Amino acid sequence: MEILVTEHVEKNYSGHRALTDVSVSAAEGRVLGLLGPNGAGKTTLIRIINLITAPDQGKVFFCGEPLKAKHIEHIGYLPEERGLYKKMKVGEQAMYLARLKGLSKNDAEQRLRQWFKRFEIDGWWNKKVEELSKGMQQKVQFIVTVLHEPRLLIFDEPFSGFDPINANLLKEEILRLKNNGATVIFSTHNMASVEEICDDIVLINKSKVVLSGRVNDIKNSFRKNIFDVRCHKTDEEITFADGISVLSQTADELNTFLKIKIDNTLSPNDLLRSLVDRVDVLSFQEVLPSMNEIFIETVTSNNQSQTAEKEEGI
Amino acid sequence: MRKILLVIQREYLTRVKKKSFWILTLIVPILLVSLYAIPIYLATNSLEVTHVAVVDETGLYNDFHSSDDIVYHYMDSFDTASVGNSDTVDVMLYIPRPRSGVVPTETFVYFKNDAPSPSVKSDMDRQCQDMLRNNILLDVYNINREDYDQIKNTSVKLHVQDLDTGESDFSGMKMAIGLVLSLLIYMAIFMFGTQVMRGVMEEKTNRIVEVLVSSLKPFQLMMGKVVGVALVGLTQFTLWIVLSGSIITAFTIANADTFDRARQQEQIQMLHSRGVSAEQLSSEMPNTDMQTEMVQGLLHIQYGTIAIAFLIFFILGYLLYSTLFAAVGAITESEQDNSQFVLPLTVPLLLVIILTPTLIEAPSGSLAMWLSMIPFTSPVAMMVRVPFGVPIWQIAASVGILLLTIIIAVWVAAKIYRTGILLYGKKITYKELWKWLRFKN
Repeated sequence: MEILVTEHVEKNYSGHRALTDVSVSAAEGRVLGLLGPNGAGKTTLIRIINLITAPDQGKVFFCGEPLKAKHIEHIGYLPEERGLYKKMKVGEQAMYLARLKGLSKNDAEQRLRQWFKRFEIDGWWNKKVEELSKGMQQKVQFIVTVLHEPRLLIFDEPFSGFDPINANLLKEEILRLKNNGATVIFSTHNMASVEEICDDIVLINKSKVVLSGRVNDIKNSFRKNIFDVRCHKTDEEITFADGISVLSQTADELNTFLKIKIDNTLSPNDLLRSLVDRVDVLSFQEVLPSMNEIFIETVTSNNQSQTAEKEEGI
Repeated sequence: MRKILLVIQREYLTRVKKKSFWILTLIVPILLVSLYAIPIYLATNSLEVTHVAVVDETGLYNDFHSSDDIVYHYMDSFDTASVGNSDTVDVMLYIPRPRSGVVPTETFVYFKNDAPSPSVKSDMDRQCQDMLRNNILLDVYNINREDYDQIKNTSVKLHVQDLDTGESDFSGMKMAIGLVLSLLIYMAIFMFGTQVMRGVMEEKTNRIVEVLVSSLKPFQLMMGKVVGVALVGLTQFTLWIVLSGSIITAFTIANADTFDRARQQEQIQMLHSRGVSAEQLSSEMPNTDMQTEMVQGLLHIQYGTIAIAFLIFFILGYLLYSTLFAAVGAITESEQDNSQFVLPLTVPLLLVIILTPTLIEAPSGSLAMWLSMIPFTSPVAMMVRVPFGVPIWQIAASVGILLLTIIIAVWVAAKIYRTGILLYGKKITYKELWKWLRFKN
């Protein structure tokens, strides 16, 4: 089931267009990565989903119903720019934020105590926020975001400012929440984390959706028929017949490494057959493009085509 | 609604828990009480008696009058030893015989331990001059002392009374109260208004607002803060009133004599207003001294009415200014760059404070009347006028205009606030604000 759907959403700010015809959907129990360069419109989309701003056009649905204020308690939102009252005590502040989400006083306290224990910050309940390190403040913010057990979680750049240990903790928590049935939308610039966490992605560039789908499908569609081959060391320079070209050949004391590209007409088995005649193959692996490469490639080509369109227009 | 209550609760508790709140709560009653206590202190402070020993070798200075706090004793000879040993004499005044036949104008004052106070010195000085003058008048111009005294002591006293109620007007005391109240309401509006602004700026610059706006509407956040801080203000005023009230009551009991005297004075004046003749009055009425009159004035002020008016105009003035201050807080990120928006807000308040001395001269004049109708100046201007009595219709009109302006201000502030709090790193101009206001959402 689709937890959240946006249909043809548009948003204009005085002087510039933030979102153009954005249709996105987040399926239940999956993690949707919201990618895009700075200023592409991700935060605007997230704000629309959180009812912080309203779209100029288009519709947003939550579990099939038009999104309304009553749905907000089923959404947990961790903004990119996030802060806490510095002079307030940690526990007091967490209680305040939790109760604003609609939890009763008892519920809030009970759940907070559990989470504080899990995140090993239970000794900090009565400390002032300004005494906490940035990482600890982020733990508190994360707890408050997920405390009311929302069906949809939205994390805007959750990893920014986290040290590797806390980032890992956060990643595990996100996956755990997903396994418990929550749907997650998260925007990030960290492509490695996209590959680890996301099931689906939406790539927004210059206010438009330029790429969307399952991570695996996208990766497949971006495959370039390039293979990494490791074989016993050979001094000979390897070359093949038409359709198979060696992009690079390197060697260490024992192995020779080849990067080989084949034509679309050929299959990996064709390459293997050619290889076994020439070298002792130790390993053979297709090179799938990283999300990083896909991101850069898509955004660059999109920008170029837009510039080209503009120039044609003139 | 539950959420707005949570916001109010937080805003209230975090402020009331601060030390600065309690310091201010204690300081103001102390100031108020000292204002109240000074006239009483002046009226009762005759306990310190200075004894002056006079040695007059000329025989001209033979008529020193002792008063409650300065007692003159004539002595025959100049004897420092006897004065030095005496516990009762504080100061010795020595007037030596002049060397030749000239007028004796040289006098010497000796003291031990403490130098004579300015009031003692001026009393000696005045009496010496009087006596010298009397002698000259008598010797040279042949005017005797009684005639001169009569001429010199001729004075006119104004008894200003309301024809309907028979009450005296005590305008001096009312002026003082009007000044204090207008200053107090000005400071309160400014202080609590800027507290709202700082709170909004804190939320904006710390990015707390990002976390909050997903849970509640910006309007709830803004109004929660405005109401929360208002409750802090009211708590502070209540504590001020209770504290000052109890101190003043204690004071009144401790100085019952002074107040009794003031009350007697009052009764005599009431008798007069019921048609007692002037001669009867002058014989009945002892010479009113200024201090007693001030105490009388204190008894006469309608504290209840003034307190209610103060609370109403504080709440309304605060609501007007604090919502606008909230909007300013939402569009600025530091105290330095908000002056272009804060200044226009403070100008009307400052203007009326500067004008208070003028207003107090004519509390029912047209300037006072108009300033107490303009919503941005009316809370302060009304406080100047209230001790003198303001027609009910004017108060009603002023409150009505204020309420209307508050509604507009809340609408404007909410629009600016909603857009402003989530906008960073952009310098906002008045032109931009105008665009936001016209933007339908």
